[in-house]
Amino acid sequence: MAHSDLSTQIDRSAYTNRFANNSPITKTLFSLSALIISVSSPSFIVSIIVFVVFTTMLLGFAKIRVQFYLKMLLYPTFMLTLSCIFLALFYGYGEPLTNIVTPWFTWTIFKNGIAMSITTFLRVEGAISCLFFLVLTTSITDLCILFRRAHAPKILIEMSLLIYRYIFVFLEVSTKMNTAQDLRLGHSGWLKRIRSLALLAGNLFIRALEQGERTFTAMNARGYDGTIYVLEEQPKPKKAALAGIVLFDVLLVFAIFFTLNIGVI
Amino acid sequence: MHIMEGFLPHPWWEIWFIISIPIVAYGVYKLSKLAKKTPEAKPLLALMGAFIFILSALKLPSVTGSCSHPTGTGLSAVIVGPGITSVLATIVLVFQALLLAHGGLTTLGANIFSMGIMGPVVAYAVWLICKKAHVPNAVGIFLAATLGDLATYVTTSVQLALAFPTSAGFFDAFAKFGTIFAVTQIPLAIGEGILAVILFDFLAKYKGHLLAALKVIKLPNGPRLQEDSEQ
Repeated sequence: MAHSDLSTQIDRSAYTNRFANNSPITKTLFSLSALIISVSSPSFIVSIIVFVVFTTMLLGFAKIRVQFYLKMLLYPTFMLTLSCIFLALFYGYGEPLTNIVTPWFTWTIFKNGIAMSITTFLRVEGAISCLFFLVLTTSITDLCILFRRAHAPKILIEMSLLIYRYIFVFLEVSTKMNTAQDLRLGHSGWLKRIRSLALLAGNLFIRALEQGERTFTAMNARGYDGTIYVLEEQPKPKKAALAGIVLFDVLLVFAIFFTLNIGVI
Repeated sequence: MHIMEGFLPHPWWEIWFIISIPIVAYGVYKLSKLAKKTPEAKPLLALMGAFIFILSALKLPSVTGSCSHPTGTGLSAVIVGPGITSVLATIVLVFQALLLAHGGLTTLGANIFSMGIMGPVVAYAVWLICKKAHVPNAVGIFLAATLGDLATYVTTSVQLALAFPTSAGFFDAFAKFGTIFAVTQIPLAIGEGILAVILFDFLAKYKGHLLAALKVIKLPNGPRLQEDSEQ
């Protein structure tokens, strides 16, 4: 399953990048504040600044492999391009830019439709780079600890950790069953493949549930009371880093005001 | 279905957060009550979450700033109710943003509303109606999962049309987004309905006692299940 490869790679990168030992609070504040500012910003220049800054941070400082980063960007960018073409064709009113005349109908393209499409494209790319920064430098466990410190409901954190574990149980069980089916020639021929897939889909659920129930029994036997304890030692945020983030955010807000009147086209 | 990070412009992403948060909070309340009463249901709940995660990661690109995939929330809504499903879907959506970079953090509110709230609510309502009408369980589950999935997409189309109306207004945009979604989504929804029936059947066969202990679902009246629940 391609997605499991990707999620394993993302998970690995979160533990091995150069920023892995920095405070998760710093990293979260940095990416979330820039994300919110750039998504709320009407100016497309801010999106470009955010994209450049975050990509530089990831590739230059966190030392994420360029190829991996490009691979991650590829899929959203592909979808985004399709969506933006759609927006450019359908969205808009006011001043028409051009008419496409065919023997059957006349299609009007609007100037603000094109502008909207380009702004959206840049906004999404900027926002995605912020999200990637958080995802590729901070592990899920670290984020769960942050949620706990922020006094999120206990049950929410417990379910998050259980679901996180179960996703991997699911993938593990399905890989094993798939291999077993393959070894017994269950994938020879189209019909057998479909039959094997149906068997896998049905049995996977029960197998994974049983494996999970065994884990749950084992946890109960060790005194599980609804709290999953993880090592909570995290580096404290550095004052200089926090000051840097505030400065960066203030500069971004200023950039919005200075570039407000620059049109895309 | 997941609207990608940054796709919704300024007022809209905040609006969907404001609408979704109270409903998810109610779900958290229901979930903690259930976890206290029947802690043995926790593995099933977590598995439902993982199931939603895996199903909704099987995505096909769609041309509308979003993509098509089964949601898995219909089955979960039938088994544990729409409130708890909204919490599970929220956790899953956060993970998908953080693990697969699928969906996003600012569009989380909108995605929770379509996949975590509207889909499950419709699925649950369909399931209740089917039960009232004494339709066989398999048909009820199929309709609930299929219609729940479609409801998710209708909601996403509404969200996109509100944010990006065309020159002819909201309804025109809604029709355009909806038509493009429908091409990929109708076959997927039917597939999800069939899968939900198979899984529910397996669950009832092997874990009937758990479903009975949960009492969140009304136990189907099939003879096999009766035996199981008496064990």
